[in-house]
Amino acid sequence: MGLDTEFIVEGFKVAMQPHNLFWIALGGFLGTVVGMLPGLGPATAIALLIPITFGMDPTSALILMASIYYGAMYGGSRSSILLNTPGDGSAIAATFDGYPMAQKGQAGQALAISAIASLIGGLIAVVGFILLAKPLASFAIRFGPAEYFLLMIFTLSAIVALAQGAMVKGFIAMAVGLLISTVGIDLQTGVYRFTGGNPNLAEGIDFLVVIIGIYAVGEVLYNYLTIDRPLGEKKSVGKKWITKEQWNRTKWPMLRNGPIGFFVGVLPGAGGAIASMLSYSFEKQLSKKPEEFGEGAIEGLAAPESSNNAASVGAFIPMLSLGIPGSGTTAVILGAIVMLGLKPGPLLFENHPDMVWTFINSMFIGNIFLVILNIALVGMLVKVLDTPPKVLYPLILLLAFIGTFTLNYNMTDFFLLIIFGLLGLVMKLLRFPVAPLILAVIVGSEMEQNFRMSIVKNDSFLGIITESPITITLAIMTVLSLGYPLLTNWLRNRKLEKNIDRQQ
Amino acid sequence: MLRFATPLFFLLVGIVSLIATLNLPKATIGNANGPLYFPLLISIILIVSSIVYFFQEWKLRGIEFKDFKLLKEGKAPRYLILSLIMMLIYTFLFERIGFLYSTIIFLGGLMFLLNGWKKWLLNISIAVIFSFITWYSFAVLLQVSLP
Amino acid sequence: MRRILLICSLFIVCILAACSSGGSGSGKEFPSKNIELIAPASPGGGWDATARAIQKIMIDEGLDDQNINVVNKPGGNGEVGWNYLKSKDAHNMAMTSSLLITNELLGTSQINYADLTPLAILTTEWVALAVPEKSPYENVDDLMKAIKKDPSSFSVGISPGLGSNHHLAFVRAAKEYGVDVKDVNFLIYESGGDSVTSLLGAHVDVALHTVSTFSEQHNAGNLNILAVTSDERLEELPDVPTWTEEGVDMVFPHWRGVVGPPDMTDEEIAYWDKTLSTMVETNGWKNLLKNNEWSELYMNHAETMDFLEEQHSMYDELLKDSGLTK
Repeated sequence: MGLDTEFIVEGFKVAMQPHNLFWIALGGFLGTVVGMLPGLGPATAIALLIPITFGMDPTSALILMASIYYGAMYGGSRSSILLNTPGDGSAIAATFDGYPMAQKGQAGQALAISAIASLIGGLIAVVGFILLAKPLASFAIRFGPAEYFLLMIFTLSAIVALAQGAMVKGFIAMAVGLLISTVGIDLQTGVYRFTGGNPNLAEGIDFLVVIIGIYAVGEVLYNYLTIDRPLGEKKSVGKKWITKEQWNRTKWPMLRNGPIGFFVGVLPGAGGAIASMLSYSFEKQLSKKPEEFGEGAIEGLAAPESSNNAASVGAFIPMLSLGIPGSGTTAVILGAIVMLGLKPGPLLFENHPDMVWTFINSMFIGNIFLVILNIALVGMLVKVLDTPPKVLYPLILLLAFIGTFTLNYNMTDFFLLIIFGLLGLVMKLLRFPVAPLILAVIVGSEMEQNFRMSIVKNDSFLGIITESPITITLAIMTVLSLGYPLLTNWLRNRKLEKNIDRQQ
Repeated sequence: MLRFATPLFFLLVGIVSLIATLNLPKATIGNANGPLYFPLLISIILIVSSIVYFFQEWKLRGIEFKDFKLLKEGKAPRYLILSLIMMLIYTFLFERIGFLYSTIIFLGGLMFLLNGWKKWLLNISIAVIFSFITWYSFAVLLQVSLP
Repeated sequence: MRRILLICSLFIVCILAACSSGGSGSGKEFPSKNIELIAPASPGGGWDATARAIQKIMIDEGLDDQNINVVNKPGGNGEVGWNYLKSKDAHNMAMTSSLLITNELLGTSQINYADLTPLAILTTEWVALAVPEKSPYENVDDLMKAIKKDPSSFSVGISPGLGSNHHLAFVRAAKEYGVDVKDVNFLIYESGGDSVTSLLGAHVDVALHTVSTFSEQHNAGNLNILAVTSDERLEELPDVPTWTEEGVDMVFPHWRGVVGPPDMTDEEIAYWDKTLSTMVETNGWKNLLKNNEWSELYMNHAETMDFLEEQHSMYDELLKDSGLTK
């Protein structure tokens, strides 16, 4: 592709044209809104907007759809922070520290930092896109079944390891999640597993139903238990802007997790959920105060936010340069722009450089627009916390049901939603970590299928691990991620014992 | 004892899934046992972790188990059970009487449950207005095919 | 404040009542009310996109006297949607494909195509067989003979599942060469995009998917399409031979069509024959086909019935050959 300054400038000019600015703003706004609603993610929103794009110029259509996509990355974390109900897989990591921050009366700051982190992640990724699109695309295709299998194992182990001290609970949650993911047709053999003859289960249980059930419904049910308690002093929403100290704590996490998210995003099939979870656990391992994570550590919110937005930009690389959609959302976008007569693929950069550069520059503008929009919305959004809980919770339940309906249009999902809501309630009561379960549901079936495909080529487990330098690296990282917390725990315990011994 | 209910429950889930896995039909293409491996492995992980969890709880058996206490406090059981029933009714009515009516009933029911009969006007207006807003934005603006 | 709320709610209730009272007339000429076009898939998939495109073309060109709504009924590879259609009246129709036949043959569905009223075949795609760029095989003849010699050393990438046209097209070709497909390793990918990745990264030896999925990469020289299942060479791939040219008697369409509910009257069928045959001649439709690299293939109700009967026995045989059914 080369760095053609002329095209970059030209593309910038086109992206700045009023009608394109309008699409960026509209898409960004719509994306923020649908991102906030549980269940209604960017993929559904874009799919439903496809008929509108039929008459549009392909470049504008692409700009509109892309801005919905990364707009949803900004919006998704809003409900995670305020209500502990993430709208999508990639917004889950924002609940870990974002919600505790809001409970501590720092909702305004949490919303502000998540917008800033998204901006930084997005900008890093756009620069990465300009410089590295081609080499990264060829790196991504080296990921075969064995590599994906190990990448998913690594992510799962990193998440299970987060539950320090309660690793057994983490393993149980993970196993339950993986079991849920095995429901449906087994792709490799066409065998129906655990569907009980229900055709609605043939394609498996949608991971979004699990997310909405456990988080949205589970959270509402959990709050029912304490809803009649007199509210103490009115929860303050705190300052709307971050302090200097908070900036100092988060600037490095935001800068280093942008690239992480970007690289994970480039891999087809990995996506924002994996990127943000990996970033979260990476930052926790690095932190000098890991015990603050989960209690409202601001860097625990900034890191995954930077990462998931970067991943959404990175996901466009395989889509545009290879014609391979890396996520559900980019698959829908790909389908839509193909209908408009555009052919994403290796020739796109050569045949339509103007369009590609207009698109890339639109992401610059879009991210800047979104950070302004989201910071402007902070004041309005924190008002959600002022809504009386007895009005708010029924409405959340309603949104959870509608969001679920738009996924598969059937009633089986409603039953599942209720079951997962109860499961979420029980897990909260027993302080089970939820993230391993959710992540296992998201990656489970891909993980299994990649495992099965890789044993066709390698007869043994060892053969899979040693297939390529990438697999070896991932295997080592897996061992480290599980071993490191055990080791630090052990060291800490030994120190404690020594101290006790000395005191005695 | 309530403390052991959870580990035993997950142990049961593990055993049931193990049995269900072993009874899966054989594949007619490729490796006949292919579909079994993964669920088998997970079931075993689940069973082993549940046993470890059981013994962790066993060590704590003398201490009072408080985790489920919240469930019995105040009106909590009433709220939980009634809203679960309402969710089931909603699921049942949704496709039969259509989105709008079932949603008004569902939302209204939840509002009355939480806010009592005294605030009937607020309850009804919120139920009707929000049902209508969601119906309009999903069915008309987004063209989702609602029943 | 309270009074305003009350008035608001009363007002809304009135609107609701008005909305629901618009009943359906009867005894009028067909169609007498809105048409529902069922996409047995979620928004974003191929069926949904095609359905919404048909909706737009019909409305833009004023082909249908009534409004058309798209209804999504995903699940069970289309089965949920077709089951829903079964209980509906003639103002409903659904998108369909060969899954309507293979689901039943595979035993995952009870619906036979003859239980519904197949209305038309609207378009088709063709299946391409491709190999990685560095593959030693340059034509299907060499490839298939090599597979025959040592089938278990080859891996074939298929998506989105076993029993799909991409799988069965390979089975059919393999049969001509006497290859035992039960020994070939099939790797099943979730989507066509994954199949492209598997070829670009050379994770498989062969992959099959629709022509449009592979054509861009073929033209860029990153993979090599060896043959297409069409009856003559395709415009966008002038250098790729058909299977017939390579000496294999195989034309294998991956068609899409529409199907109506059971027991439609001759009058209703005639209405759709007329409307749909006009629709496929519009510029909007032709543009849709061109952009998606789909090919023209229209059959009216009578032709479709014959065609499906033929397809039914062909799929029955192929599924048995593949080892999926007995």
